[in-house]
Amino acid sequence: MEDRLRRYEKIEFLGEGQFATVYKARDTQTENIVAVKKIKVGSRAEAKDGINRTALREIKLLQELHHPNIIGLLDVFGHMSNVSLVFDFMDFDMEVVIKDTNIVLTPANIKSYVLQTLQGLEYLHNNWVLHRDLKPNNLLVNSDGVLKIGDFGLAKFFGSPNRVYTHQVVTRWYRAPELLYGARMYGTSVDMWAVGCILAELLLRVPFLPGETDLDQLTRIFQVMGTPTEETWPGLTSLQDYIQFKPMPSQPLRNIFSAAGDDLLDLITSLLMVNPLARCTCEQALKMPYFSNKPAPTPGPQLPVPTSLNGRKQDERPSLKRKLLDAVDGGSLAKKLIF
Amino acid sequence: MDMDVTCPRCKTTKYRNPSLKLMVNVCGHGLCESCVELLFLKGSGNCPECGIALRRSNFRVQLFEDSQVEKEVDIRRRVLRDFNKKEEDFASLREYNDYLEEVETIIFNLVNNIDQLETNKKIEKFKKENRELILKNKVRVGREEVELELMLEQEAAQEEARRAQIALEEKEEKRRKIRNKEALIDELMFSNANAQSILQTFAESRAQDGPAKPALPSAPVAARATQFSSGIQIGRGSGQVEFLPVPRIDDTPLYHYEAPQRLFDGPDPPSGQQVIQDGYLSHIRGASEEERAGGYSSHIGCLRALEDAMAGLYYKANRGEPVF
Repeated sequence: MEDRLRRYEKIEFLGEGQFATVYKARDTQTENIVAVKKIKVGSRAEAKDGINRTALREIKLLQELHHPNIIGLLDVFGHMSNVSLVFDFMDFDMEVVIKDTNIVLTPANIKSYVLQTLQGLEYLHNNWVLHRDLKPNNLLVNSDGVLKIGDFGLAKFFGSPNRVYTHQVVTRWYRAPELLYGARMYGTSVDMWAVGCILAELLLRVPFLPGETDLDQLTRIFQVMGTPTEETWPGLTSLQDYIQFKPMPSQPLRNIFSAAGDDLLDLITSLLMVNPLARCTCEQALKMPYFSNKPAPTPGPQLPVPTSLNGRKQDERPSLKRKLLDAVDGGSLAKKLIF
Repeated sequence: MDMDVTCPRCKTTKYRNPSLKLMVNVCGHGLCESCVELLFLKGSGNCPECGIALRRSNFRVQLFEDSQVEKEVDIRRRVLRDFNKKEEDFASLREYNDYLEEVETIIFNLVNNIDQLETNKKIEKFKKENRELILKNKVRVGREEVELELMLEQEAAQEEARRAQIALEEKEEKRRKIRNKEALIDELMFSNANAQSILQTFAESRAQDGPAKPALPSAPVAARATQFSSGIQIGRGSGQVEFLPVPRIDDTPLYHYEAPQRLFDGPDPPSGQQVIQDGYLSHIRGASEEERAGGYSSHIGCLRALEDAMAGLYYKANRGEPVF
């Protein structure tokens, strides 16, 4: 244990959140740059329960998951009552890319990002893991243009018929309608919806459905996709938090994504199906013509790099976990687990 | 304008009110400025002659004495705003001419109140059918305009060059004259020859020089511009202009889906399809309506249970860890 403590040489402080502080560090054995996430034990009252739940989820799941598009948990070590996680160092996340107005995202770039996301997600779903917090902020990209899904703090095994799940997952803007209606049993469709929202955001460069409350979120969804009925979404009225909305017609997506081709619109349509059982799975999505059609997805090294990264010195790159900083500011979208 | 221009409503003439300005609206009936102000105080009203509803903002100063002409200009402008197809949009000259003919017919009909309803319907139909093209043409500068602009630009450039050339020559000429004069004086001062003969030889040489002055390089005839400044040909003959630069040939491979390799280290569990088809589901609790509405279906749980059951059955600790 002692040698592992010394193995990682702290370079700089990257960010701090509710549960952890993140440092950039050098792995003295491999000379790689890594990110070290040190879980806070917190106050005495909290420490009584042992280490934080989200950290446990992250460790337990990531220790078994290995895929090029999933953040790699390289090492875990403890010291006293602390636990530290060592991750691949990632240079930026999709939120930075989307917000950087100097970056022009070509259709091939977007295809590459979505493809990598879905490939990582397919692996997760095949291994019965739901991510439950997909958003641009959690799609991390390194300087080689490899996208990795990160932050498994809300991830959970799924597929057990007897276990109920909380519906208070996923940052609101990316939350699927069944979660907003309080579904306690759900499947991979919640992640697919989030991917649809992220894809829409890549195209529009602004959040697609930025709801201010849960109710507003549903309103925004139905304004675009049309209000569901028992016919389009069987069993809808039996959901716990079901609320009747006044019928709204669906809008043609072509008008919203005027630059998107037919194959892309097909993909968005099937990702943003309001009925979760009609929504496509990763495999179905990856088999859609959009991915095999031209243009070919941009190879990783040719993907755009945020200007903020170019201008800065190597050492001053934005942190892997900017969201931790955001959480400190008490962002309204801070994730929450209610059991 | 003549002194007997009269406002049809208040009968004021230009003679009595020199500042009289006749205004017209879409119907083509004139009104003087003060009448417009009086009648259209509220912003809209009816034409006192034909009773058609008009807006004040549509009144313009009458440019042509004949209000009929004014009306035609107005209608023409309105019609051409939508009928803005260019020659390039047609396959043959014949079709283009037919189109122009039709536009003229429409304008004529509207001006002379023939088949108003029918004609308006025709316009609406055309607008609906060609909405995208109309929008496109609105932004597109016609090729003629591009050519014209280019020619004007080139002419201006030539003019500039010519002026510079003339100025240079004038300067040169002046300098030569001074030199000649100085040479003559020098000659007169220092030469022993007869002053008369010296003057004569100089006068002769000057006479020779005169016409021999370098002729203006004949200004290149303002030929029809055939090239953009970048050297690319314009003109409809060469279709090349139409194309954007040929995109770089993309050699990045297209994506093809490959099912991921899954290692169970045990007997292969049935696929999701098989679970549904082969009756596995009859042995488990079906998903409730609420669960199905949430996106859970019973074959998910069944498949998971089967995979969990089969995975790792062949695992033996001494074989080392299974590779994921």
